[in-house]
Amino acid sequence: MDERKQFEEWRSHRAPLPRTLIAGVGYRNLRDLSAGNAVVDALLELEWPPEVEVEDLSYGPMDAIFRLREAGFARLFVVGAMARPARFPGQVYRRRWRYEPEPPELVQGRVAEAVTGVISLDNLLVICAHFEALPPEVIVIEIEPEDDGWGEGFSPRVERAIGRIAADLRARCAPPVDA
Amino acid sequence: MCFKNLPVEFDAEGKPYLREGVANPYGYEPRKDLTEGQIADLLARNGHLKEVNFDPVTRVAGALAFHSVTDLEQRTVVETNAVATLFRGYEVILKGRDPRDAIFISSRACGVCGGVHATCSALALEMAFGITPPPLGVIVRNLLLSAEFLYDHPLHLFLLAGPDYSQSAVEATNPELWALARRTPTEHGGVHGYATVGAIMADLNPLEGSLYLEALGMTRVAREAYAILGAKFPHPETIVPGGVSTTVSLTTFNEYYSRLVKLFDYAKKVALLWDDVFDFFLRANPAYAKVGARRKNLIDTGMWDDPDLYDATYAGCNDWGEGRWATPGVIVDGELRTTKLQDINMGLEEFVEHSFYEGWDGGRFPIDPAGGPLSPHHPWNKETKPRPQGINWKEKYTWDTAPRWDRLAMETGPYSRMWNTAVARKRPHSDFIEATGHSLKLRLPKAVKPELELEWHVPREWNALERNRARAYAVAYSALVAMENWLRGLALLREGQTAVSTPFELPRRGTQIGVGFWGAGRGYLTHHAVIDNGKLANYQIITPSTWMASPRDPFGQMGPYEEAVLNTPLLETFDKPEDFKGIDILRAIRSFDPCMPCTTHVYAGDRTIVREVNTCACGVD
Repeated sequence: MDERKQFEEWRSHRAPLPRTLIAGVGYRNLRDLSAGNAVVDALLELEWPPEVEVEDLSYGPMDAIFRLREAGFARLFVVGAMARPARFPGQVYRRRWRYEPEPPELVQGRVAEAVTGVISLDNLLVICAHFEALPPEVIVIEIEPEDDGWGEGFSPRVERAIGRIAADLRARCAPPVDA
Repeated sequence: MCFKNLPVEFDAEGKPYLREGVANPYGYEPRKDLTEGQIADLLARNGHLKEVNFDPVTRVAGALAFHSVTDLEQRTVVETNAVATLFRGYEVILKGRDPRDAIFISSRACGVCGGVHATCSALALEMAFGITPPPLGVIVRNLLLSAEFLYDHPLHLFLLAGPDYSQSAVEATNPELWALARRTPTEHGGVHGYATVGAIMADLNPLEGSLYLEALGMTRVAREAYAILGAKFPHPETIVPGGVSTTVSLTTFNEYYSRLVKLFDYAKKVALLWDDVFDFFLRANPAYAKVGARRKNLIDTGMWDDPDLYDATYAGCNDWGEGRWATPGVIVDGELRTTKLQDINMGLEEFVEHSFYEGWDGGRFPIDPAGGPLSPHHPWNKETKPRPQGINWKEKYTWDTAPRWDRLAMETGPYSRMWNTAVARKRPHSDFIEATGHSLKLRLPKAVKPELELEWHVPREWNALERNRARAYAVAYSALVAMENWLRGLALLREGQTAVSTPFELPRRGTQIGVGFWGAGRGYLTHHAVIDNGKLANYQIITPSTWMASPRDPFGQMGPYEEAVLNTPLLETFDKPEDFKGIDILRAIRSFDPCMPCTTHVYAGDRTIVREVNTCACGVD
């Protein structure tokens, strides 16, 4: 059975999925920091059930607020590379995200960054949460970067992680291609 | 006389030449300042003087810091230095590359100015390549870059600088003003709907005020308008030498207009509500006219080309420049010196005595393509030679350079393009925009609100409030430029003139030079390109923030931020130094509309107050 038939077969039998957005966030051409974009690029090559959309949200939180409010997703997977202390390069950290309200001065600081072109996973989440635009279920998938230099391509560990994340998201939201 | 400091004169036909008999026409002797030791001694002998550092902690490339010495007894700033803390290196990145890369790489110089660098770069290249875009290509550029400003100016007015005038800021720093604002009626409530100035200030509160929230929505409308024609914002991939590569139709034009019409009513409201706020400040305390005050020295390249005049040549730049919807020009001490792009270019020099760069020998291009003399410090002659080192306030302290015109420190903004246009009266009157010689009349068409004529007057005093007031009127100005270009574009489509770009071949041999004269949201923008055998041999970007965040020059003149802060009285209400928040200094800095975020710390003794200051990182080399 070819992939297209397999997909239709799966779709005709499955239970409805929650309306889901799979999103990536990151700077392009900044090596491992572009991992979120790369996951989305890979997933956009695939066909998805109608309840699932895939989008690069790097265009900024201020527009994402409107996009998320209007679309009314029930679930958001958001992928990005984030350097945080005491983590291992190439490791993937997945967590259900809940907003711990930040002081208004900090949120305004994030808005100032967002409207002046800074691309940041944390800013996207906090700003969208502050303006009550996030879906009820938000799952954050972070990749610990190793190489934050300028240019295309990824460090080997992060490149493998990108493939794993893409496969995992595919499996969660659509049938595996070899089923 | 155009130039008073450079030895450039003009013959009877207006052709520029170097004054004869000047041995070293562009030479100079750097001024000697006090030494670090002398400054420290002065501080020690004057206990009321406090060193106040705006120390940047920034999450992104590009940041502005300030070092100041304040007299808290006299409530004045007595010394200040603007510091660009990071090296951007676009000039280095671009060297040796295919010239066409410059459009896409230089676009990334700024996250707000998402289309202006690409456009300016395209202009520089089409001058070098000798190609002229078709009329609709020029019109589409104008439509894109007016939509961009309809995003950019409200963003500054309501999301970045606006909070400085909000209830939360005013109540915390000048409670007496807040009390007065609550009982002060507005003059323009019939248009914007606010009965008191206090009600406006409450709605300017960050994150929750309705004006703040409305701006989030309106900036989106403007970005949509850009994306409809340009396909993507920021950093469009449809800007090419010789025009644009986007597909234009009646449908896209109508979709653009559906966004534009929403901005007409918004422009009416924005101009008049800021009039009420700024008039209130000036009436409540006339000393606010000194906040951010500096000499009326302004420069602008102008922008929005007339497709009937623009031919992309340097030889023709004076004519097509003066035909722009925004007139190029230089204003010195309030007087218009020139509106000619060649004069602007010839007067341009960059100095690095107080910057983290080495000097250069220069001189490859002693004259411009029209025979006008050029300084060895001109961007076509400049080399970017970074030399990182520690800060020394009397020596080198910033990554910004010191651009000067006729050896004067200049500022720029939407106000400089409005000012030039208003006083030069080069642009013919239209149904929408009229230059009177002392003002710009802006006739906004009926949308939901009725038609309204606004009039922006060239200000008598030049300060932080007037910068922001002009920016508020620039929303209307940009919307009307868009309207006029939309009508011109529609006519071209009806006539079947649908071409938007001119094919070209990259020259592979010889040397070509070009300059893009365009405008960013914050004013003056130039890209100077030198191409040798098909590769970029030199590429120099001068942005608004390069001018305004500049350090002292070798002649001892401060940069505009430094000068404006130095002139700023501390009008904030505080009893003890530790209560000092620096709102007046921050209003002065932000009135220039710096655009990339950097967190600064106002440091005074053992107390640190975290404040937000935003600066445009594209101003840094």
